[in-house]
Amino acid sequence: MATFLQIILRSLETGSIYALAALGIIIIYRTSNTTNFAQGAVAMFNTFVVTYLFNRFGFPLWLAVMGGIMSAIVTGFLIDVLILRHTKKVSPVAKQIITLGLIMIVVGMAPIFFGVDPLRLPRLIDSGDLNFFGASISYNGLFNISLGLAIMLLLFYVLQRTKWGLAVRTTASNEYVARLMGVPTKTVTMAAWGIAGILGVIAGVMTAPMTSVTLNLMDEVQITALVACVLGGFQTFHGPVIGAYIMGIARNLLLFYVSSVWGGQILYILILIFIVFRPYGLIGKKVIKKV
Amino acid sequence: MKETTTYFKKHPWIGFVIFGIVLAMVPQMAAWGLFKQGYITTIGGTLIYAIAALGLNILLGYSGLISLGTAGFMGLATYISAYLTMDLKLPFEVAMILAILIPTLVGILVGLVSLKIEGLYLAIATLAVSEVLRKTFEELDQFTNGFSGKSASYPLLLGRFQLDKTSTYYLIVVVLVIIMIIVSNLMNGKLGRALNAMRGSEAAAQAMGVNLLTHRLIAFALATMFASVAGVLYVHFIKFSYPSSWILKLSLDFLAMIVIGGLRSIYGTVLGAFIVFALPDLFLKQIPYFENLSYVLNGLLIILVIIFYPNGLISIGHDIKRLFAKLKRGGKTNELET
Repeated sequence: MATFLQIILRSLETGSIYALAALGIIIIYRTSNTTNFAQGAVAMFNTFVVTYLFNRFGFPLWLAVMGGIMSAIVTGFLIDVLILRHTKKVSPVAKQIITLGLIMIVVGMAPIFFGVDPLRLPRLIDSGDLNFFGASISYNGLFNISLGLAIMLLLFYVLQRTKWGLAVRTTASNEYVARLMGVPTKTVTMAAWGIAGILGVIAGVMTAPMTSVTLNLMDEVQITALVACVLGGFQTFHGPVIGAYIMGIARNLLLFYVSSVWGGQILYILILIFIVFRPYGLIGKKVIKKV
Repeated sequence: MKETTTYFKKHPWIGFVIFGIVLAMVPQMAAWGLFKQGYITTIGGTLIYAIAALGLNILLGYSGLISLGTAGFMGLATYISAYLTMDLKLPFEVAMILAILIPTLVGILVGLVSLKIEGLYLAIATLAVSEVLRKTFEELDQFTNGFSGKSASYPLLLGRFQLDKTSTYYLIVVVLVIIMIIVSNLMNGKLGRALNAMRGSEAAAQAMGVNLLTHRLIAFALATMFASVAGVLYVHFIKFSYPSSWILKLSLDFLAMIVIGGLRSIYGTVLGAFIVFALPDLFLKQIPYFENLSYVLNGLLIILVIIFYPNGLISIGHDIKRLFAKLKRGGKTNELET
């Protein structure tokens, strides 16, 4: 029982990472109408910025994270203003290819700026464990879980209860009509890219202490987040978040009880089988296309 | 002159055969000392990648679907072929058929699952599957030899003709020409018309009796099949297969090839393969940092081509001709022609 509880606690921590990344993807999907395959690559780049500020310039960690968030906002804005804004006439598939091209640019540029050696990033809260019912969790893990939940609750509050959230939801449902109604859709899309960048870098900073900071830092998170979007359905903002937590828990359970090597792989295959039976995900509904 | 051009347009295979003959002269030119022997490996490798990219071009160019699993399926074929010829000592032909069949069947399964819903799901499903495959290449030691890589030898045809590097190169050229002819025939036939209709309007195509799922599945199966053919040729030409070769980076490179070269263009795909693979290897390698820079450059080219030049670099000759014709007329645009 203690082991089981331990696994669930650890899963909630990784689950928050996946959820933040998935939320970044879904926000872009709803406002820019494209699956952002570069979310993980951009997050990796900004995590490198944090690590570099911390290791090379000796910034305190919190300041380095602030620096990373600033650079995430800047990169998000740049991607939108320089590239995505000019793709109004381009088909959705071509937009996806553009985000794939972005991966190549970002992954190619990172070693030029930051070198090829893996770097280390410490945890936000150094030490200390909390015990309950025989299971233990580090203060850092607890902090990650609560930070993830806090960010998500804040975002959902903003989306559902404020004027800005209304603007995002209007843009998401129909950009053209939103513009006619006076919603500044350009600013909304730009802000969405900035927010997705922030969510990415926070997920990156949470992931980094578990491994080392390399070019592949966010690969697994990115793939899991995309699959979580499939699992939860692309039609709502909360579906992918729920999907991400489910994947976090299922992954660790499979890794522990079934196979420590193949657990992650089995999970991907199970979810592919799952979408045969529920094609639009847990929460999603069928989108009826008009001719 | 005009008659010959129309004749070539009517029978595109003549052009492909001539193209193949030109490519087949590469080893001879290397023997004459026109360029380094090592270029044979580079150009042969590029042609292999072009084969896989032709399959992806059917999928992306004609049916507008993205697959991120090209590298994974190609890798699967290399390992199956190497395992069957080296460990089980099966003849090359049997190994080749199985190494093409198995990944294609896996591909069809993945396609069945994801294409039922929406095109976008295929990209994510293939991304997940290629991740599963990459892990398999690393961990399934007895089959793939793990991180140290799997080796194979040059093909032994019909059990008696042992090929060497040059003759394997000829084999690659022959396969490439055959696949170019197949693609050209398929895309100018019923399948091509159906896929074109789907790209124009899914609803209209359905109304005309085109089954979306079947045609998408055929396109994806063809893409996987050509990737497997490329994989078989790769492992028997390069003679090694490492897990680190079959990663997302390679799949993105394939995408870059067809987007930069030209969607729906057969020669464009080959041109793209040369731009993405051969050009950095032959000329630009000396520049420091180039390994990463070429990646950045390909990414930039993808974005620029999609936004500003959606037909790809293959149409550059045509556009320059038009520009000259325009200049000749003294800048006056001919209303009728435009």
